[in-house]
Amino acid sequence: MKYCVALLALVPLAAQEIKMPPGLDKLAEKASDVVDVTLDGALLQLASRFLSEKDPDEAHVKHIVGGLKGVYVKSFEFDDLNQYNQSDVEEIRAQLKAPGWARIVSARSKRNGDNSEIYLKTESGQVAGLVIIVAEPKELTIVNLVGSIRPEDIRDLGGHLGIPKIDAGPAKPDKQDKPEKKDKEDNQ
Amino acid sequence: MRPAGRPPRYYSIEAVITPGETRDTEQNANSEPRTFVQVLRAQQSMVFSIAYQFLRNREAAEEVAQDVFVQLHQHFDELKSDAHISFWLRKVASHRSIDYVRKRRFEAGVGLEDAPVAATGGEQQDYFLKRRLQSLVGSLPEKPRMVMILRYQEDMMPEEIASVLNMPVRTVKSHLQRSLAMLREKIDRSMGDVR
Amino acid sequence: MMDDFEKQLKDALSRVGPSPFFEARVLGAVKRREREHRASSRLWWASAIAAVLLVVVGSLWQYERNTREEEAGKEAKARLELALRVTSVRLQKISRKVEGI
Repeated sequence: MKYCVALLALVPLAAQEIKMPPGLDKLAEKASDVVDVTLDGALLQLASRFLSEKDPDEAHVKHIVGGLKGVYVKSFEFDDLNQYNQSDVEEIRAQLKAPGWARIVSARSKRNGDNSEIYLKTESGQVAGLVIIVAEPKELTIVNLVGSIRPEDIRDLGGHLGIPKIDAGPAKPDKQDKPEKKDKEDNQ
Repeated sequence: MRPAGRPPRYYSIEAVITPGETRDTEQNANSEPRTFVQVLRAQQSMVFSIAYQFLRNREAAEEVAQDVFVQLHQHFDELKSDAHISFWLRKVASHRSIDYVRKRRFEAGVGLEDAPVAATGGEQQDYFLKRRLQSLVGSLPEKPRMVMILRYQEDMMPEEIASVLNMPVRTVKSHLQRSLAMLREKIDRSMGDVR
Repeated sequence: MMDDFEKQLKDALSRVGPSPFFEARVLGAVKRREREHRASSRLWWASAIAAVLLVVVGSLWQYERNTREEEAGKEAKARLELALRVTSVRLQKISRKVEGI
């Protein structure tokens, strides 16, 4: 297994929404578990209004969401193998070859057939968007966050509202949070 | 006629009650509150006359008098006594008549009464004198004209006239004095030594 | 006491009556005015009732709108939390793979 890791110094700004291939919508019929979330600017603001500032967790999320302009998530889990087309994934990757986009993380396992990637769009040296592609034999997840994102924001999502903690940024032995050893199932 | 040398008196020290009011008082002897229609019937001559003597035009006078009574109907409940009603009617009729002239640049009617009084039989002469006097009063400026009408038609004292027309008493007396002098002079000229 | 001239003046300015139809005309004008006043009053009341109804309907509409907005807001919040949870879990998986190098 070889894993490529590259991380850029990240600073906040705006970004563009990735076009989800229309073929992805048909996957819902085959999937055993589906998460399909589309929150544009207006809905994000609406959701943010209902995050309580009195609750520390919700207040923290409210602060992070304040910099976002869109949240787009499509996640499918299947009982059987080969339920989605690689061409749909390639269609997304093709968009991420446009100027400004850079793949900062790529974790591929030929044995398991897993392929996980993180892309960041930068404009004038500042982060303008994030795309995560997780393509596994029985799972396909595409996440697109549009807007101003800071590495500590991604890191800080963990531990709030039942969201597990994550690690981001260059490895820092003293400060980096140790990941969970157990695999946690998605709570969807 | 006034003997030469004696200064004119311009007001009378007669009773204030006018003929109309005596009748009204008798009718109201039982102190029953009067209806609007009763007041209309009792006071229409007074109101119409004030307007007519001022405007010298029956149609215009009826228009003004009608407006006065319509306005009375609106305020009828606020007026408590016959005296109050009479005062109110004279006041409103006077002001409405003056306003009528001002708004329409109305000129009092003139007619045969302008003609010189013929030195013929007594009754005819009285008739023409009467019409001549009416015409001359109608030719006075607005405020003095109304002062004369309220004095000689309604038998009101200068103080009452001042209250109705919202002017100082001395102004009322001045109008009376000057108007009488002017009328005497014009009648003397138009009739010669016949009065 | 008035002198003769003043008596003549008083006679010239004696009261005269209006036309025989004057009283009827006045009463007609009074009735017309009352009718206009009633119509105006009815219009006033109709306007007042319409204004009250407008306020009531507007309030109900606003209440319903607020309720719908609250429901939509809570739904949006739930979806946001779900999206963030999915994102965070995926990032954690990727992080574990990266740390396993």
